[in-house]
Amino acid sequence: MTPLFNSKDNDLRELAMDRDRAKGLHLTSDHFGDLLGRGVSEAASPEAEWVDAHLLACQQCSAELAELRQSLALFRDATSAYADEQMRQRPQLVPVRRAQVRWLVPTYWAAAAAAMLLTALLPLQVLRQHSSSAQPAAVAASATGSSAIDHSQSDEALLDDVDREVSASVPTPMQALADPSASNASTSTDISDSSSSQRKN
Amino acid sequence: MTMTLNEIPSFDTTNSGRERTSTALDDLDSVVEMYQPRVFRYLLATLRDRDAAETLTQETFLRAWTARDTFRSDCSLATWLIRIALNLARDHTRTGRFRFWKSVSANALDATDVASSVPTHDLSAEARLIAQQQVANIWQTVDGLSERQRTVFLLRFLEEMEIPEIAQATGMPLSTVKSHLYRALAIVRTEHGRASQTFNQAAKETA
Repeated sequence: MTPLFNSKDNDLRELAMDRDRAKGLHLTSDHFGDLLGRGVSEAASPEAEWVDAHLLACQQCSAELAELRQSLALFRDATSAYADEQMRQRPQLVPVRRAQVRWLVPTYWAAAAAAMLLTALLPLQVLRQHSSSAQPAAVAASATGSSAIDHSQSDEALLDDVDREVSASVPTPMQALADPSASNASTSTDISDSSSSQRKN
Repeated sequence: MTMTLNEIPSFDTTNSGRERTSTALDDLDSVVEMYQPRVFRYLLATLRDRDAAETLTQETFLRAWTARDTFRSDCSLATWLIRIALNLARDHTRTGRFRFWKSVSANALDATDVASSVPTHDLSAEARLIAQQQVANIWQTVDGLSERQRTVFLLRFLEEMEIPEIAQATGMPLSTVKSHLYRALAIVRTEHGRASQTFNQAAKETA
């Protein structure tokens, strides 16, 4: 395994570190971005060697980098755990097997067909209700008709009585005055006749 | 109403009836099973709204299915799906309705909710507290990034995508991706340092 730095490089590195310490230099945000954001497949920046050397020498920067890396890893783990938990709580996000869907699809069709059937039958039911409510009315109407016939018959009888009485020369109640010789029996018979005819009415 | 992913029928010809070459998307069940957690995670972190993330995850696979003939395998299927997802997320976040509902939505994620999901198997109570504080801090900082910075940051540090993959997914040049990533990291680093300082100060005072 080749050493990271040869002796000459080590001397230069020490010199650079001394200079950095003297100037109070630390890694910049761009260096941190390069260290954290750079993927494994990417080439390191030209300053990468200096950055690596600085990290070996500067505890402050190396501690900050370690802490940032740890925080980002925690962020990823916590977010993943939270998202997984949310998915578990919401069963509709869990993939449904196609077999289950095949079972569900006829159910949907059956429900739709039933709804359509109900929609079609509703007007028929309403129509039936209308016709059944019309039936008693017809019965009532026929009953009314028969009572009207009775009424017309009694009216005719009444009119006949009126005609008979009008056509008579002397009204029935005055028959006794018009013919005093007539017997009481006939008078009583007439009276009973008229009362019976009135009762008939 | 959103269509269920698996209601999409399986057939081997396009609408025109001509034969088409099979793609990785033909077995949609496997694709959904494999990539849905990833797409949902990215959308949840981007939108911070569970319902919207769920809806757009389904929409992503629906779009992928309908456009499966255009998938040319010049990038990975994961990259292609993420590209669809981030385009949908961008369209979604640009509506005024989203901005309004984000401010009032009960589904909006809280940083502490996410921070409490930190795996703490072998951490002491103090270390757990520090870890949760660090996660909450990054979560809040990312929310304040610009749209492009946030996208690049999440793709790099949440989805662990390489910079060329991010460039493919976002359609941005490599240099632009790097530029946004470095700016985002600079902001995160500054806020991280500030939060650490405050936390250490508080710990010293308590001690």
